[in-house]
Amino acid sequence: MGVIIEGKGLTKSFGGLTAVKKVDFHLNKGEIVGLIGPNGAGKTTLFNLMSGVYHPEEGTLSFNGMEITSLKSFEICRLGIARTFQIVRPFLKMSCLENVLIGIIGRGDPREGIKAKGEEARKLLKFVSLEGHEKNSANNLTLIEKKRLEMARALATQPRLLLLDEVLAGLNPSEILQALELIEVIRTQLKMTIFWIEHVMGAIMKASDRIIVLDQGEKIKEGRPEEVVNDSKVIEAYLGESDA
Amino acid sequence: MGNKKLWISFAFIILALFPPLFLSQYWLHVMIISLFYVMMASSWNLIAGFTGQVSFAHAAFSGMGAYTSGMLTVYLGLPPWLGILIGTGVAALLGFGLGYLCIRMGGIYLSLTTLGFSEILRIIITNEDQWTRGTMGLQVPGFFVEYSKTSYYYLFLIVTILLLIVIYKIIHSEMGLTFRAVLNDEVAASSSGINTVRVRVLAFAISSAMSGLAGGFYGHYLMLITPDVPSLGQMFLVLAMAVIGGMGSFAGPIVGSFVLEILSEYIRVYGEYHVLLFGLIALAMARFAPEGVVGILRKKWRREWA
Amino acid sequence: MSELLMYLTNGIVIGVINAISAIGVSLIVGIMKVVNFAHGELYIFAGYFSYHLSVSLGVPPLLAMPLSIFLIFLIGIGMERTLIRPTYGDEMYSLIITFVLSIVLQNAALLIFGPYPQKPPNWVTGAMNIFGLYHYGNQRILSFFISIGVLLSIFYLIKRTWFGKSIRAISQDREMAALVGVDHLKVNMLAFGLGAALAGAAGVVLSPIFPVTPSGSSSVSLNAFIVVVLGGMGSLKGCVVGGLILGILENLGAAYISTMYRHIFGFIILILVLVFRPWGLFGQKTQ
Repeated sequence: MGVIIEGKGLTKSFGGLTAVKKVDFHLNKGEIVGLIGPNGAGKTTLFNLMSGVYHPEEGTLSFNGMEITSLKSFEICRLGIARTFQIVRPFLKMSCLENVLIGIIGRGDPREGIKAKGEEARKLLKFVSLEGHEKNSANNLTLIEKKRLEMARALATQPRLLLLDEVLAGLNPSEILQALELIEVIRTQLKMTIFWIEHVMGAIMKASDRIIVLDQGEKIKEGRPEEVVNDSKVIEAYLGESDA
Repeated sequence: MGNKKLWISFAFIILALFPPLFLSQYWLHVMIISLFYVMMASSWNLIAGFTGQVSFAHAAFSGMGAYTSGMLTVYLGLPPWLGILIGTGVAALLGFGLGYLCIRMGGIYLSLTTLGFSEILRIIITNEDQWTRGTMGLQVPGFFVEYSKTSYYYLFLIVTILLLIVIYKIIHSEMGLTFRAVLNDEVAASSSGINTVRVRVLAFAISSAMSGLAGGFYGHYLMLITPDVPSLGQMFLVLAMAVIGGMGSFAGPIVGSFVLEILSEYIRVYGEYHVLLFGLIALAMARFAPEGVVGILRKKWRREWA
Repeated sequence: MSELLMYLTNGIVIGVINAISAIGVSLIVGIMKVVNFAHGELYIFAGYFSYHLSVSLGVPPLLAMPLSIFLIFLIGIGMERTLIRPTYGDEMYSLIITFVLSIVLQNAALLIFGPYPQKPPNWVTGAMNIFGLYHYGNQRILSFFISIGVLLSIFYLIKRTWFGKSIRAISQDREMAALVGVDHLKVNMLAFGLGAALAGAAGVVLSPIFPVTPSGSSSVSLNAFIVVVLGGMGSLKGCVVGGLILGILENLGAAYISTMYRHIFGFIILILVLVFRPWGLFGQKTQ
């Protein structure tokens, strides 16, 4: 089991505020790792660094042994890292099929014909249970459907590593179960490594191999779920947050 | 293309064959100018309406096309079609260069730089009058040995239809899909593997080339090219046609061009108020009905038929 | 030698006024991400206001100036309320709307004020001998000192008052600013008014030296934009340094190379900046 992605000493600040401070982490191939921490801990910023939306002031990132620290988003995506967004960002004025097609086009492989791409997009929509919505505008979907659409778009880029930013937020218990099943299928059948941010503690603890905890931009704990839940620093970080 | 759309387009093309049979020379001229504006507004819409980038150099690029072809035909004796081809190439290259420089910095930079480019081009053309004849205008040969508005009308009709077909194909291709993705959400597009800067630069270069082409034909129709061709006033008219007709739709700029050009012929009788009037209408449209006349009609029809 | 010094002085005087005009653009870009393409038209209107107030209505020049600037401030507020506010977050429409507005105002100016250049009366007459080297017009000297005064007040306003703090908060992080209770709608409106007023101030100060015409507006806008890009988007210091650089280069270029191509020097600067340092002299390389 080799390392798929590794970050060393990652630091990123906005104005005077340091959002991510000297964070070291790595993920092994095939792992599913949870990223948790109170609000404002820097979780989404870390995802933005990994996907090239921001670039770190200090530190390096490497993916499959290749340095990706200063690459642009689309380059990182083509290397095999795809993501979803905390606040969903499907292309609202495009149809569901077109949304997924963008992910397929984003692979930058000119060999495939438009017909094959359409077929593949349909399959992906079916995979996330959005069949029948092909021509529907993304704007008309419910929040949960939009999340699934984003997931399909991310999968369409054929990533090796999938970054999921709060895909369970706003879902009811039965929907959470469905989503978890989907994530499990992605991991076992599509053989992808998964790094996910989640506030739904029960789910992330149950489904993750390993947990990384951030607080105020720093990594305060890393380990198996049962180690993390009993860690005093982690409990303290969460107790400091009134609505946790 | 849906069957219904195909038939409607076909019907329009058939109808467009008849005007020379009954229109006066004056109104035939208005039709030819309208067709030029259709090319201009539709190609501007390709970047503004489909990628969300506002270029203020569209008229300037048409001027590049017109002057390049004009000077090549006058000073080197090239045939107009070859001049236009080269003029289009020059506009494409310049568009690519400018786009490459500023688009990576964001849309605001493109708008600022293209505005600057328009001004500079005007100054150069006005001052280098030993080549361009400045404000006097450069006399250039026409397309036909025997001047006839009817011939020009059919020439412009064919070129416009071909250009519109290309635009339609682009909009409905993979490239068009990436245009819209960039317009919808740049971060999401980039995170999905789309090279957004490349898409934007490409769209800008294509659109600039199209306006160079339109300008080339325009010059050889007018047979007198003046700095009005690449002026900001002209730029404004093109923009107003797209905005009032409806940006981001295929039909919008076409409708806008005909309506505004014909309307300005009627207003011209009362003096040069058409710019002020179109400006106010465009402001109101951009503020209250950004989908334009075509968008309003479409909504209305949908409500009545649904 | 004294000739060169004179061109340099001209460059510095124009440069400071450039800076005022550019800060007007920069303020608005910095906090609203809106480029006001009607900037030059506001400048022109201010020049005409101050001309008509003093010549047609007989208001003393030193009163006509602030009055014209205040009128432009009100126009700016009106623009923001009616046309700009609904476009927040939609860069494309704000670009289109301010461009169309610039054409409308330019044509309105033509209709109202006519096509002829106008120049408000000089506030002072005569010339002064500078260090025994050359004579320099008193009007220009006074314009220069008034501009310095305007610049200092803007720096004070932005560095020291609640308004300035709110502006900086919003330009750094809109959401954060909202959280700490900055009323961004109000600040946007005032900032847009202030940006407009600065275009007006530049117009009022410069019009006794260079008469205004409706067709001169686009080069005013362009100068301001070039300075903003050169200095770095959103940087006040950049506006001052950039304004001076542009002022001096244009004057030297016009004197020693070609008057016709005065404005081309600015465009060349713009292209060079985009090639070598696209974030400008004092701008921040984003992300």
